[in-house]
Amino acid sequence: MATHVRRAASRTVAVATVLLLSALLVSDPAGAASLIKGKVLGSESVTSGTWAATASPSTLTFTTSTAQSSTVTNTGTIALSGIGYKVTVSNPASGSPSFTIYACAVVWSSGRCSGGSGTKIGTSFAKNSTTTTTSTVVPPLSGSAYLQIAPTGVTSSVTLTLGTTISSATQLRAQVSTNQ
Amino acid sequence: MSAVSRASGSSPAELSRIKKERAMRQHCHTRTRSRRHGRGVLAGLFVASVGLMTTAGVYAALSGVATGSESVTSGTLNLTLTADSGGAGFSNFVPKMAPGDTDNVYVNLNNTGTLASAAGMTLWVAGTPANALTNGTAPSEGLTVTATQCSVAWTLATGVCSGSTTAILVTTQISTFNTAGTAVSLSNVPSLAAATGQVAHVQVSLGLVGTETSTNGVAPSPTIQGLSTTLAYTFTEQQRLGTTINQ
Repeated sequence: MATHVRRAASRTVAVATVLLLSALLVSDPAGAASLIKGKVLGSESVTSGTWAATASPSTLTFTTSTAQSSTVTNTGTIALSGIGYKVTVSNPASGSPSFTIYACAVVWSSGRCSGGSGTKIGTSFAKNSTTTTTSTVVPPLSGSAYLQIAPTGVTSSVTLTLGTTISSATQLRAQVSTNQ
Repeated sequence: MSAVSRASGSSPAELSRIKKERAMRQHCHTRTRSRRHGRGVLAGLFVASVGLMTTAGVYAALSGVATGSESVTSGTLNLTLTADSGGAGFSNFVPKMAPGDTDNVYVNLNNTGTLASAAGMTLWVAGTPANALTNGTAPSEGLTVTATQCSVAWTLATGVCSGSTTAILVTTQISTFNTAGTAVSLSNVPSLAAATGQVAHVQVSLGLVGTETSTNGVAPSPTIQGLSTTLAYTFTEQQRLGTTINQ
């Protein structure tokens, strides 16, 4: 019985509170002062490009002093002005091989780059070394550049690994300014 | 005749039944009384509420009674955004953006209302979706905005201001003002603050900062490469300060 009375009283108080608050709100004669603001919206879509390149094959194994080739492809969406190479030469069981790398914008033909010798990348790469170098012969957008790796002094199996790097700071096309 | 008196001379079973009936009647009576009590409180409070509202109405009516008459017109504060110099204004930036690229958008901010704006104006830029271009997940990288005002219309073909320029926002990373709560204050917006009906010729330069090296065809993580977002620029002006006139 006491519970019923308490519940009824609680309901009554709750309803009364709501009514009183409503009355107070309605009867408030003072509106809140605020400053007017004007707002306007502009919209623009933007997409960033990508900068990357890969070499294929990236690992070349030499058992004789015969040149081999690798193709470097621009896999990004931004044109390049330069490309970095990380060249790693293994330590063969015998001999002291050395490698020279030449880049060409077109496919090598009978060891010639458009009739020439191509553009030398770095100096030469000795056995058991890792060297970082750069080249300005770059693969165009959706295109490739062609490397020829010429060894000397190979007497036993030796491996050359080609890695690529593209730095946004120095190896992308010139900056573009657009007015619209 | 009461149940008890009727019960005199009844059997014990009959007496027990009568007692139960009496107890139940008393219980119901008490519950009814409590309900009546609750309804009474409710009715009283309702009457009090109505009374308060009526009082407020009377008060308002009394306050509205005046012996003189006065005409009042409220002002308007409107800000519009249009393309400047016959350009496209804010639109899609088609080319893939590389670090160092700049997309200059020329717009007119026009105070078309009847109220002058305060000197301060704010801008915030939201990216949808939010990603490393706008939310700072690639530290020190992402999109930036610079805003410059020209005293005359910009020359779109060259991006040159033939009048005088005023910096209103130095190069700022969007990740630092990509919410309404982090809106930046634009400085020196004189033509809008001076009077109504004035136009500010603004060059909004969008830039991309990136210091990333991709290795063997793979971008670092996090990266700003290969991302898309739609930027919403929100310019907000505030009315001039309220004035007091004595007449």
